[in-house]
Amino acid sequence: MLSQQILNGLVSGSVYALFSLGFTLIFGVQKLLNFAHGATFMAGAFIAYYCTISGLPFLLAIGFSMLATGLIAILIDLIAFRTLRNRGNAEFPALVSSIGVDLILVSIAQQVSKTQVLNFPFGTFPIKFYDLFGLRISLLQIVILAVVAVLVAALIFYLRKTTFGRQVRAVATNERAAALLGVNAQSVYLQTFFIAGALAGLAGVLIGLLFNSIQFLMGEPYMLRAFVVVVIGGLGSVQGAIVASLLLGVTQSLAVAYLPSGLTDAIIFGLLFLVLLVRPNGLFGDINAVAGGTRQ
Amino acid sequence: MIQFYYAYQPIIDFFLLSVGFGYSQQIALRAGVFSIATAGFAALGSYCVAILATKTGVPIFLTVILGTALAAAVGGLLALPLARLRGAFQAIATLAFVQIILSLLLYGEGFTGGALGIVGIPREVNTWILLIVVGLTMYVMWNIGRSGMGRVFNALRQEESVASSLGVNIGKYHIIAFIISGAVGGLFGGLQSLYTFQIEPHNYGFAFIVNVLTVVILGGRTTLLGPIMGALIMAILPEIARPLAEYRQAVNGVILILVITFLPNGVGDEIVFWFRRRKQARQQQHRASEKEARDAVS
Repeated sequence: MLSQQILNGLVSGSVYALFSLGFTLIFGVQKLLNFAHGATFMAGAFIAYYCTISGLPFLLAIGFSMLATGLIAILIDLIAFRTLRNRGNAEFPALVSSIGVDLILVSIAQQVSKTQVLNFPFGTFPIKFYDLFGLRISLLQIVILAVVAVLVAALIFYLRKTTFGRQVRAVATNERAAALLGVNAQSVYLQTFFIAGALAGLAGVLIGLLFNSIQFLMGEPYMLRAFVVVVIGGLGSVQGAIVASLLLGVTQSLAVAYLPSGLTDAIIFGLLFLVLLVRPNGLFGDINAVAGGTRQ
Repeated sequence: MIQFYYAYQPIIDFFLLSVGFGYSQQIALRAGVFSIATAGFAALGSYCVAILATKTGVPIFLTVILGTALAAAVGGLLALPLARLRGAFQAIATLAFVQIILSLLLYGEGFTGGALGIVGIPREVNTWILLIVVGLTMYVMWNIGRSGMGRVFNALRQEESVASSLGVNIGKYHIIAFIISGAVGGLFGGLQSLYTFQIEPHNYGFAFIVNVLTVVILGGRTTLLGPIMGALIMAILPEIARPLAEYRQAVNGVILILVITFLPNGVGDEIVFWFRRRKQARQQQHRASEKEARDAVS
């Protein structure tokens, strides 16, 4: 029972990781909170759903939805972030304008779905169960764990080893210095937004499959979870976000199983508050980074 | 006049409550604190009033005072840990605060009614009471703005390191800002529960946070006129944009983006700034002409 809960927690934690990575990437590069990330996630699930019921093969639908959410994220950057970023001191204005984008996307989704809960048609994904050392694991759970592991490895490789990745890290460290050395900061921003959007879209599809429900408000709880993940892992830290996501997934499924159900949120956000107090830079964040102290 | 009042009474009341919550949000932003804790303060105030009014015999007037005091005290306590954080981290921490309050309200079913909330709260508040309380709040805010405290808040918002180098105790003023924000939020939360006679945790969720932020962003973050203009737009807009009623949230989103991008100070603040600039220009002109006259004499 305990190990089964831990396994389930790891699966939902790995989806949290997929969702939070984009969020933490944008924060790491731009130092801005993107409140529209939850809506991008929801859009991913919606687009995949409508592609599937209009007869597209499921894999193609997923690919199309990742592409589309990537483009949505780029649009978010162009509409809500770019002007504010160029004006400087964009921390608070960007939070507000991304909330604006969130309202627009959620409202459109509400109209499109007529406020109903949607389900992927039966048989979209084969339902199979395996016994693994006495644990029950579904094919979907195995696929999710594998896909997330591959994507995370690819993202880390991209950030560490490629020229693009080096440019991203250069802009994250110091935008002006990077620009002086010939890095096109705007294109770096667009890239990070595209990656973040595509990952969020995929996370939306996976969650839609895992719980077999898609609805226009599904982004909000994940948005709030992402805050917990990025704070515990350290805002802007990729490895921290992954560890924190898995930790959150396991904590949550254990709390649901063994504690009064209503208390789960209080525990999770209490934990967030505690981490902010004791280690504002997160458990794995750069200790030298500025979280407290005087604003820049 | 009376007919107008009866036709639009719900909108007027909604407007007055929004103005109140707007001041609670504004005072924090004004002091340079990125707090979105107003929803939590309002929830505390309204539940305190609702529970006392339905389950005990405490006079209504006293319940509102107790609700205000509770929210103010929690605001003060919340400021202590938040003093170490800045910017985005403050926003996240206050968001976590709101979520903790909401989930505790959902959990404490025997006490708070859980997801169903509390019904049958005596309806003791009407438009006139709201009007008086908004007036009093404005009077307090006006005095804070003109006093040394208001100038300290402005300095903290504009450049914290300068304020600190001039001997301002940053932590102390952040605590004061949180206490005021908590008190005003709790006060109007309590009035809201006495006005709608039914409350549930859901009322104080993400939508509430967004609405209060919208009021202050549209109106302005520094002047007394700000929340009034913001709440006015928010109250009138759904009436004007009736054909777009289904897309109301989307319209709000578009307006938020447009205002924060092209009118970052907010409508109310821009109006006040325009009058200030005009006054300054006139004074300068006046001084110049006086000087000219003096020069001509000598």
